[in-house]
Amino acid sequence: MKKHLTRILTLVIALALVFSAMACASAQSAILGNAVQYDPAQPVNDGQPISIELWYWTGAANLFQAVADEYSALHPNVTITLVENPWDDYWTKLPLALQGQDGPAIFNVHNSYHENLIGYMAPYDIAVEDLENDFVGVSAHVIDGKVYYTDYGMMTATMYYNKAMWAAAGLTDADIPTTWDSFREVAKKLTIRNDKGELVQAGFSFNGGAQGDVLGMQYQYGQNLFTQDGKVSFNNEAIQTVIQRMKDIYEVDQSGDYNFGNNSGDNFGQGMIAMYLGWGFMHNLLKSNFPDTDFGSFEIPAPSEDVPYAYHRYNGESTFGVNKNASAEQQAVAQDIVRFFLANDALQKQFCLANSVFPAKKSLAADEDILNVSSIAVLANHIDRYIWPGPMPSAVENNMKIALEDIFYNGADISTALQSAEDTCNQELAMGDFVSVEPQYQYAAEAK
Amino acid sequence: MNAIHRRHPLRSSSEVVLRNLVVCGLCCFFILFFLVPIVVAFLGSFHLWNPLKGQYRFNGLTNWKMVFESSLFWRSMGNTFIFAAVAVLARVILGLLLSCALHSKTVRFLSTLRTLYYLPTITPMVAVAFVWKFMYDPQFGLLNQLLGAHINWLFDARYAMTAIVLLTIWKDFGYAVVILLGGLYSLPTDLYEAAGIDGANAAQKFRYMTLPLLKPTILFIVITSLISYFQTYIPVMVLTQGGPGTQTYLASYIIYDQAFVKYNFGYASAISFVLFLIIALLTGLSFRLSGQTEKER
Amino acid sequence: MQKQKASSGGSKGSGILLNAVLILFSLLTILPFLWMLSSSLKTNVEISALEQSFLPKAPTLQNYLNAIEKMNFLRYFFNSFAYAVAITVITLYTSSISGFVLCKYRFKGRQLLFSCILATMMVPGVVTIIPRYSMMQLAGWLDSWRALIVPSLFTSFGIFMMRQSCTGIPDEMLEAARIDGANEFYIFHRIILPMLQNALSSIAIFQFLWAWEDYLWPYLMIRSESKQVLSVALNMFSGRYSTDYAGLFAATSIAIIPVVICYLFFQRRFIEGIASSAVKG
Repeated sequence: MKKHLTRILTLVIALALVFSAMACASAQSAILGNAVQYDPAQPVNDGQPISIELWYWTGAANLFQAVADEYSALHPNVTITLVENPWDDYWTKLPLALQGQDGPAIFNVHNSYHENLIGYMAPYDIAVEDLENDFVGVSAHVIDGKVYYTDYGMMTATMYYNKAMWAAAGLTDADIPTTWDSFREVAKKLTIRNDKGELVQAGFSFNGGAQGDVLGMQYQYGQNLFTQDGKVSFNNEAIQTVIQRMKDIYEVDQSGDYNFGNNSGDNFGQGMIAMYLGWGFMHNLLKSNFPDTDFGSFEIPAPSEDVPYAYHRYNGESTFGVNKNASAEQQAVAQDIVRFFLANDALQKQFCLANSVFPAKKSLAADEDILNVSSIAVLANHIDRYIWPGPMPSAVENNMKIALEDIFYNGADISTALQSAEDTCNQELAMGDFVSVEPQYQYAAEAK
Repeated sequence: MNAIHRRHPLRSSSEVVLRNLVVCGLCCFFILFFLVPIVVAFLGSFHLWNPLKGQYRFNGLTNWKMVFESSLFWRSMGNTFIFAAVAVLARVILGLLLSCALHSKTVRFLSTLRTLYYLPTITPMVAVAFVWKFMYDPQFGLLNQLLGAHINWLFDARYAMTAIVLLTIWKDFGYAVVILLGGLYSLPTDLYEAAGIDGANAAQKFRYMTLPLLKPTILFIVITSLISYFQTYIPVMVLTQGGPGTQTYLASYIIYDQAFVKYNFGYASAISFVLFLIIALLTGLSFRLSGQTEKER
Repeated sequence: MQKQKASSGGSKGSGILLNAVLILFSLLTILPFLWMLSSSLKTNVEISALEQSFLPKAPTLQNYLNAIEKMNFLRYFFNSFAYAVAITVITLYTSSISGFVLCKYRFKGRQLLFSCILATMMVPGVVTIIPRYSMMQLAGWLDSWRALIVPSLFTSFGIFMMRQSCTGIPDEMLEAARIDGANEFYIFHRIILPMLQNALSSIAIFQFLWAWEDYLWPYLMIRSESKQVLSVALNMFSGRYSTDYAGLFAATSIAIIPVVICYLFFQRRFIEGIASSAVKG
């Protein structure tokens, strides 16, 4: 009897749930989200007409159009004007516009320009605990107990490989390397030279943009990029080892060449090279620019089979910023849009897929559509083993680029080049106020 | 004042009005848009100044010290000298050769040729720099195909600067051709006829007549070119970003990078003042060397 | 014509050789343009493919259509044109009137003023652009046409050229007009200006081209898309991760058309104008 009752009760509750869900859906006022919630029924700006600007950079107009359209559909009294700027222009114009009275109320953020923007941003009016409940990596974005923007996705480097070349070399899925030693063997097998010894197909290439590969690889040896007193560390054993290995792949293994193509990403698409370490965005770029190249991805190899301190660094794709100099009414609308965006899984997914980034929203971590993207899927097992060092100023990459080009193209000694880059970089860092967030990393204690 | 009165016995009130209007306008304009900005920038070079952050904090000689201690700046200054010297020289020589050739009476399709030579000058630099980047590609670039070479133009320390100079020369030689052609047209023809009767050959005429007569025009080109080549950054930005290593870093590329990428306006101002002084020095030197210090009128 | 040349030292053979060399050189000069034109008819996939051909395999006008439709290209085009024409007209007038006063009037400090104007040509643009920006911001002129035009009311280059050209006008001519009772405004507008036609043409070309190509200033000043100029808009083809080369090349190809027309239109006067001014150092 008791069993019977529970069964009936369950049925009733289930039915009630279904009905209420249907009722909500028909009224178009379903509350979105988990911890960060959004209630569309709540009027915005008391239902009075208001218009605000949303600024973003060129590249994914449809994403921002979707946000504007969906939001305006819920709140017809809000007019969102989208203003697009090319990437480079954006970072000049946005901070200057934010200084004045008539800047955009809400804008797209990238953490590499953190220093220039943070002074103009209003904190989210969402509780930090709620954000931490729904999103990973929030703690690195907390400033004095407040969040001004966080990540909706994490982008990092994965190894791309050309499937046709892989098969032609007699390799199978079982040959996918997990250590650098086995990677080098695979790279040799994928290298093809003609009778004269000239390279026809490189097994691996890092030409053009090697600084993106190197900065982050030192974590595999437990070495942080920044010291505790806030300085950058280039000239250390870990980075030297990484660079020496890159040289060996070309010079000892003969699996590639410094002059065989200048842009490994494009060269990979062009079918010149078989493997290439690229960041997440390459996935969509390759698909659109080189539709004939069939490629797959695997996780970046490590020094040994053990899980390292971290595989590489990641960089977040940021959520919107709110302009603290905008009028109170506009800020209220902007805050509402932020909440709407964060609570809306469909939008979150759309943004992640468009940028091929691993979703920061926990509810999307196992989403089928997202795991269908090979470059994202390979990260799923170890996504917690990637570090965000913080919004690094461009000086770090620029100086590493100089050092690497001096080593690879101008024959400079590894240690000398790294030391000189480190010195210049620290001089430039002294002009800003960058603080590394490496200590916030989940496994920070494992660092050397 | 007496001297002036003697020269212009008929100076009318309308002359005074016109003169005052123009002088006033000029003074206001140049004070507002040159003097004030220069003073502001000079003051700024003693500040930690980032307009994007709304930051303007006195930091004494820090920026200047950084400029003089920066090995990158001095290396790039050296690169800038080499770049400017080669580019100016090539511009003048190519300009002289082509303008003299075009001036010759045997040339056909004159206006077509003039237009074609001027075409690069009138095209936006950013766009053509991208075109050249493709042409320099080591694998499928047009240049290697034409030369039958395997040169990695933009990443080989021996060729990277050459690549940037080549693009600059191609972009700008038309300007020199047009200006020198203008100079050649203004030369007195009777002098040449006289020389012809005296039996001077073409080379002699060029050496002893054309060249000295064109000297002011050449000086004009040298100076305007020097000024603009000391401020070149777009080809570097598009082609090499200063690489490989620091081989193609130019002083103004650092300024551009510091001012409009990193927004360290204070530091950028200090560098641009050093550059300004060097340009002024060089310009003075060119005048001195040519012995042509404002003789005419 | 060739006979005339032959008598003055050259031979017919060397004349043909000279022509051949000049034509060959002009072909080399326009090679990058031809490459750009041909690439503007390719897709991005073809532009970045390993197998390259000079001519497009399957020519498409899609890049041009995209530029015109999506980019609001005609709007930018019109803005650039209006901006360049406005600046050209204004500087032509201010340069010639300043050049005239500085050349023909004697007054205290004239030489100093002229030297100062010349000296401003040596100031690197980067030194002044930053404070100029702040001034425009203070004046509340950002995102307006005033901000583009006012800083270009006078140009040292134009004043310099015009002053040099004015030296070619005999003083007696002015004196004659003065004796006839003409006032200075009449003399300048009715007598001097018409005589400066050639020099005006050459400055017009230089100025128009500079305004047309001007990038950094409009880029900093103009915010709204409806007021943006073409040179800045060309930047829209460079995305964050990659550049739409085909689109850029198509847009650039269209962008240079008015410039070429402007040049062709003025070119004869252009060279003669230079002959009358810059030469005299």
